[in-house]
Amino acid sequence: MAAPPALGIVATLKDAFRTVPGIVGGGMLVALLAMVVIVPIYAPFDVVSTWGDVSAWVDNPRLAGPEWSDIFVPGTLPRTITIQPEDFRKTKVVSETFGITTIVLRSTFDFSADYFPGELTFRLFTTFKDITPLVSVQLERPDGETVELLRTTPENQAPTANSYPFSQTITVPETLRNIRAWATSNFNATDVAFPKPEVTLFAEGGEDMLDPHRARLMRGEYGIRVIAVAFDSEDNIDGRFLVFGRVFGLAGTDHLRRDLLTGILWGAPVALAFGTVAALIVILTQTVFGAISGWYGGRTDEAVQRASDFFLIIPILPILILISIFYRPSIWAILFVVVAFSLVGGTSKVIRSIVLQVKQEQYVESATSYGASKIRILFKHIFPRVMPYTFALIALAVPAYIFLEASLAFLGLGDPVLPTWGSLLGTAYNNNAMFNGFWWWIALPSAGIIFATVAFALLGYSFDKVLNPRLREQ
Amino acid sequence: MAILELEHLNFHYRTLRGAVRAVDDISFEVEKGHTLAIVGESGCGKTSTAAAILRLLPKNVARYDGIVRLDGKNVMELSDEEFRKTVRWQGISMVFQGAMNALNPTARVGKQVAEPLQIHFDAEKEEAMARASESLRSVGLPEYVERSYPHELSGGMKQRVVIAMALILRPGLVILDEPTSALDVMTQTNIINLLKRLKKEEELSYIFITHDLALASELADEVGIMYAGQIREIGPSEYVYPSPKHPYTKALLKSVPILRSSESPISIPGVPPDLIESPFACRFHPRCSVSFEECGWSAQEFADILERLRASGEDGGVRWGEAEVEDDLTLVLKPEDGMDPVTYRKALEEAFHEQEESTRAFKAVTKVEVRDGGVAVTLHEATTPYMIGEAHRAACLLLRKGGEKDG
Repeated sequence: MAAPPALGIVATLKDAFRTVPGIVGGGMLVALLAMVVIVPIYAPFDVVSTWGDVSAWVDNPRLAGPEWSDIFVPGTLPRTITIQPEDFRKTKVVSETFGITTIVLRSTFDFSADYFPGELTFRLFTTFKDITPLVSVQLERPDGETVELLRTTPENQAPTANSYPFSQTITVPETLRNIRAWATSNFNATDVAFPKPEVTLFAEGGEDMLDPHRARLMRGEYGIRVIAVAFDSEDNIDGRFLVFGRVFGLAGTDHLRRDLLTGILWGAPVALAFGTVAALIVILTQTVFGAISGWYGGRTDEAVQRASDFFLIIPILPILILISIFYRPSIWAILFVVVAFSLVGGTSKVIRSIVLQVKQEQYVESATSYGASKIRILFKHIFPRVMPYTFALIALAVPAYIFLEASLAFLGLGDPVLPTWGSLLGTAYNNNAMFNGFWWWIALPSAGIIFATVAFALLGYSFDKVLNPRLREQ
Repeated sequence: MAILELEHLNFHYRTLRGAVRAVDDISFEVEKGHTLAIVGESGCGKTSTAAAILRLLPKNVARYDGIVRLDGKNVMELSDEEFRKTVRWQGISMVFQGAMNALNPTARVGKQVAEPLQIHFDAEKEEAMARASESLRSVGLPEYVERSYPHELSGGMKQRVVIAMALILRPGLVILDEPTSALDVMTQTNIINLLKRLKKEEELSYIFITHDLALASELADEVGIMYAGQIREIGPSEYVYPSPKHPYTKALLKSVPILRSSESPISIPGVPPDLIESPFACRFHPRCSVSFEECGWSAQEFADILERLRASGEDGGVRWGEAEVEDDLTLVLKPEDGMDPVTYRKALEEAFHEQEESTRAFKAVTKVEVRDGGVAVTLHEATTPYMIGEAHRAACLLLRKGGEKDG
């Protein structure tokens, strides 16, 4: 007889986790759950509100690859070097005569990577009374040269920082002028149209030092010196100097300097929660309706089956897109819509066919004969038989819902505030990550999606192996 | 006193080809403390009879009527819900064919045996489980069985579990539907001995459905032989086994192999009839070795014969008159020349009797009576058994007219 094998839920789970796909899938699921556990440790802050806040990420390099991309290139890619306010040696001289206060901050750092840094930023925190102090920022190079990067009168009072980026894309114009003048006069360097401050400042002195493509890196001990002339003895300055690396963390950063690892880790609970909750609710309700349909038959059956047909032909993605465009729903609202449109469907048909088979079995007739009511037989005798299949169906449905969420997020129609794998990919796509070679931005969130879906697909396959007698033999 | 009485019970299935008359006008009774064995070939309606008694109806019921009296009360009048609550398992329980499939594979045995208690008496789980383990012990099962799943038990053990389940509510009547069909001979004997013991201890009545005559003889006080949805012969086993009356019973007994006997068993030629278009009148007559022309006549065929005889002038001095077919088995003859119907009836009866040997169809006549200025002739349909001895009934035309005949 082609009856389903005589197995309960526990026995099925045990058997499933004994098959090779079961072990691998289970292991991958454990890894995913580990990611969920790691999130609060790795990002012990409110990820949802921080993710959209640009100022929270300013100390990270922009569009940096993961640190392990070293293995793809000879040598070492530069890490970010941060000189914190407390790392500066501060000298403060107050002149009695004019009330002029001179403050000098100095610190050194060792630059030993094999590539030029990504960019430089100096942040200045000042406290002053009436008149803004005059501040000069200078870089000391291992070859003894000193370049003045900036001479300015900061406007913001601490704790608000005065931020001075030095890079090709955004830079204080004066800095570029200074660097050009210094390089051409001291080293007779050839001027180019678009010099990069972060290259020239770290290049060996010579003709090519202004050309980003031909400049040669100079390793060694660099120094940063800040001299401020203030007009009140209470005035004070502090600084933070950042030599941004080209790599950051395990997953790199995006165009807003956000740590992608945070996004990817956070994507795991989002994907798991959405995928499993959607799959659980959808498959379970469909199972209940399918079982009712098969068990009661007649008009009930007809109603459930026609409703299933109806929901099966309704294209859910376009509807979700429409809803998303009009309402910008949160992920839970999307979940609600998905569930509402899948109360009956394919699973009700599968379960109905199994119930039609089970209901012919003698023990069901036997239960009727000893006076069990229809509803009792449905829940006590028929349900336990279809539950193992339901588990397999749930496991196989999870990837589908993870994909659905990712597709919506990729189209920019998902939850507007949550970082999810799909929304990371969507942002990457919109920022031309593909053409610019920001591979980590695409590869790692995709890997997350693939990992999760493969895990559940393997689990589903292992259930299938246990429940499908034909596969069982092999 | 009879615990169960069936009167004219009908249970037909609807199919695309027509109604399957699986239970066709069956009447019998089961005495308290007795066992009635219902024996017959596969597909003769034994299990359908059981289903009809317990009202286990499929969707495609074409006809379900008659009287089922349990302890003198007609349970056919109960609503489905009343029937479920009062009759099922409390009045009549059933051991299903193939015990291996009668247990839910996903639930522990003890829980399943206890389930009827919970359904009917809202028993507390622990009390129900205690009763279940008591019941399981009473059928000779060790304690661990209670915690086992059905697939962990042997066929014989499962059969005992199913019996324990049938007895848990202490019903008066248990229907045993081929309770040993899938078991080996030793286990069969074990189960039969268990059933005998329980019958004595619990004063049970059984309806024992089987195709195995030898096994039925072990347990049965009465035997009913079923063929094509009808009871052909029914009586105490001490009459039926040694001196079967119906040709089918005789043939059935001859087909049983006997150990250490040089006689080889004789099978019945042909196949069991189709229950949709079953043979007319006696359904066994096409396969019957003793049937003659007298079996299986319909009123139309009978009228044709009369017409032929009249045309050839062999009517024995009686003018048959115009035959008018009333239904399958009845035709009305009008006297031709204004003869008094009473005289006409007498003349006809004599003519039929005289010509019985030359025209066997006349043997099928059961009743000749005056009606509406004519004479109604009723042919025997040989479906309802009639008394042929003390408590022994059989449905055969030959037995009625010509006494016992050997085939």
